[in-house]
Amino acid sequence: MFPENPKESSISRFPKAADIIGQLGEELAFVAPNQDRGLLPINRFVMDLEELAEADVPPQLTAGLQVARVWLDHVLDGPGKFTKETIRNFNEWHAWMTSVLLSWQTGTATPAWPEGWALTEKSGSATQRDGSATTALPSGAEEPSICLDLAEDFGLLREFHGESLELLQGIEQGVLVLEENPADATTIDSIFRAFHTFKGAAGFLHLDALRDLAHDLESLLDAVRRSELPITSEIIDLILAGADALKHFTREVGSQLQGTNAGVPIVFPTRQIIARVQSSLRGESSPEIADPPEGVERSQTAGVSSAPMTKTSELQAQPKVRQSVVGAFRELTIPSPASGFVKLDTAKLDNLVDLVGELVIAQSMVVQNPDVQVINSLQLVRCLRQLSRITTELQRNAMSLRMVPIRAIFHKMNRLVRDLAAQKQKQVQLLLEGEDTEFDRNIVEKLSDPLVHMIRNAVDHGLEDSADRVAQGKSELGTIRLTAAHQRGGIVIRIQDDGKGLDRGRILAKAIEGGLVKANANLTESEIFSLIFQPGFSTAETLTDLSGRGVGMDVVARNIENLRGKVEIQSVPGQGTTFTILLPLTLAIIDGLLIGVGDHRYIIPTLSIRESFRPAPGMVTTVHGHGEVVRVRGRQTPLLRLGHYLGTASRAVKPEDGIIVVVESGDAARGLLVDELIGKQEVVIKSLGRAFRQQNLLAGGAVLGDGGVGLILDVDTLVQMPYQPSRSAVPISPATP
Amino acid sequence: MNQEPSLRAQPAAREGRYLTFTLGDESYGFPVLNVREIIRLCPITPVPRMPAHVKGVINLRGTVIAVLDLRAKFQFAAKDYGERSCIIVVQVAAPSGGNTLMGAIVDAVEEVVQLTADDIEATPDFGGAPETQYILGLATIEGSVNILLNIEKIFAEDGTLSLPPLTKPEPTQPDKG
Repeated sequence: MFPENPKESSISRFPKAADIIGQLGEELAFVAPNQDRGLLPINRFVMDLEELAEADVPPQLTAGLQVARVWLDHVLDGPGKFTKETIRNFNEWHAWMTSVLLSWQTGTATPAWPEGWALTEKSGSATQRDGSATTALPSGAEEPSICLDLAEDFGLLREFHGESLELLQGIEQGVLVLEENPADATTIDSIFRAFHTFKGAAGFLHLDALRDLAHDLESLLDAVRRSELPITSEIIDLILAGADALKHFTREVGSQLQGTNAGVPIVFPTRQIIARVQSSLRGESSPEIADPPEGVERSQTAGVSSAPMTKTSELQAQPKVRQSVVGAFRELTIPSPASGFVKLDTAKLDNLVDLVGELVIAQSMVVQNPDVQVINSLQLVRCLRQLSRITTELQRNAMSLRMVPIRAIFHKMNRLVRDLAAQKQKQVQLLLEGEDTEFDRNIVEKLSDPLVHMIRNAVDHGLEDSADRVAQGKSELGTIRLTAAHQRGGIVIRIQDDGKGLDRGRILAKAIEGGLVKANANLTESEIFSLIFQPGFSTAETLTDLSGRGVGMDVVARNIENLRGKVEIQSVPGQGTTFTILLPLTLAIIDGLLIGVGDHRYIIPTLSIRESFRPAPGMVTTVHGHGEVVRVRGRQTPLLRLGHYLGTASRAVKPEDGIIVVVESGDAARGLLVDELIGKQEVVIKSLGRAFRQQNLLAGGAVLGDGGVGLILDVDTLVQMPYQPSRSAVPISPATP
Repeated sequence: MNQEPSLRAQPAAREGRYLTFTLGDESYGFPVLNVREIIRLCPITPVPRMPAHVKGVINLRGTVIAVLDLRAKFQFAAKDYGERSCIIVVQVAAPSGGNTLMGAIVDAVEEVVQLTADDIEATPDFGGAPETQYILGLATIEGSVNILLNIEKIFAEDGTLSLPPLTKPEPTQPDKG
């Protein structure tokens, strides 16, 4: 069945060699780094080949065998296990041997000797065509490999994986456009950005090889973007090769995340690509690396097992075979991960939530329609119940779409603390609590930067050096506690360190020096602490490359304020500092208590409510004739008649006619006298819009079950406002200019 | 009210379609481009401690929008809403970008008219008494005068009309001593 071309003398040997090499390939497919599986069979096959090669085989085959022998002996004498390098080498070797076989079979020119394969003894003919062939593979030139820390970075890696697939898809599409129209600036920009994003993510995860490659590709595209380099097919090749390598890595990450080969280092063959990119950047044409074995193309390997033609060898494909690379790129559709994500325009989400809200209301209108209610049909009742169940479920689902757990950001902090601690040579542990607390995604996104900054500050300046800690009788291990919770009708994030605490004296001195306060200012502790949020404030002597306490804290404060939140500081010298970030629930879903005052309904966030009760006569006492207090659990709590305050006629003239709802904010509490409790309801907070943005009495509005709008009271304001006893509020007249 | 002579000199910029409506005996117009829809009066949730012309908020298919009473805004005598009273929902460009929806209660909606530059006159100077700052220009339609309103001005201002903060000043005020 073999063609007549092979020389007569070797005709009997060819099928045997092909057979052995085929089996070798199968064996190679099963080896794994740090394991010895397959080592002995491979050794065995190589020995068989060596025996075969004693007589009349192509010289390349003999030379190849000598290389394999060196490598194998090295493995056998050394660790007795494969490493990722040896595996890759053997795979390459196998591919090359396959091509040698092919040339033997067809009588065509033998493939070039691969660059970098060392021979212990020169095997004349094999090295003829390439002078560099005998250059030993320097150990420093090993392809980088990356070991994933799955346990530590699982969430981040999963995010990275999803994002990368998206970026690669973008690059792929971009390349297709560039092939048609190489001068398309928008496309070049978008590919540039994709590599840039890749670089950022890789850098964050310490995937250095990946970062380096992405960095070089980014520089290349940047040069193209600035028209410093013309876009040539060579550059397109490079982009493709780079994207291919990144894709290979991403796929490996994906399979490791799904548990395949978890923990196995991923070989990341980037050396050549980087070298080519760099020479392109220098304006040279890329160095022609040894021609790839012709036989790499699958179509020609018929009759020889192609099983071991692994991804690695595909990735090694050189620019000469560009067509096939492009083809492969197009064919390799990126597999969708098992649990996929879809990126959505948030406006669409909002729209969906609104529409579902409408549906729920329409549904209740149908159910409560008097005409429908007189219909006496069990069937109808059942259908309506089913309808309401589905709409409720739909609503809950739609609402949850906007909510994401804060876990991802918290875990980033883990990483940050680990790195910072190493850098500062401090021992730091980060304790996370409430990672599953769900926040509106808009808030989560905008929280990342301020948190990074505050954690940096805590590690850098909050915590003392190990020596100082020991000297103060503290544990050497500094602790930072990061907690998230729904509290006080909002979101509370706390960053707590057990370090040295803020230095009041120095902050004050600095502020006076900087002209932020007058020298004779009489400030409370919290006023002093909040000075660090002033722009331009910095206790400069503590400045380091990482952070200076105060540097950028104004940015933190501004970011939080933009989210309509605030930061509180508590600090005890020698015991640590606690930053408490309070954020409103804008756009979030809250549990609310619907109360009635006069003809109006208001919503009080359930989380701010401590209790509610109907007061007995005598529980409410007047102070100075007009202030009122109510005794709640042994404490006198100021009472606010909500109806009077809001300017609505209240039905409850005497306190015992109404209900007192005790609300709290921070440490303060206040009793609100309302007419009635209507019910508890989960509501979506909606912005009241521009017209009401400057008032702080209402936290927002919500669409109630009957389609009307309920106003959500801002409890912080009600509790903290200056005490205004039962006097009706006078509406403030329009401030016309 | 002479701050905008340039605008006054170019009435051509204001030509286009207008939705006309009435407040009392007067006829007004909104640029049609700003009008999103006209809805019947519906229950309005009053917002406490707001200026009288801010009637409250309504639920417009899931979006909470503020509703102003134009009668109150222009200091017409208060009057019960009639059969033809309705809410014109307009889209106002926010200074920060994006659009906000707001509602304006009017006595009755009339029609959509096409006005050319020749139909529109600059606002005469009343010497300060009527608030001309909301007026885009005057148009004469079939012999009667129609007051064209500047939607941005009318609604933008209400952003500042609300309550001053109820809490005491921020304790961070460093210069208190």
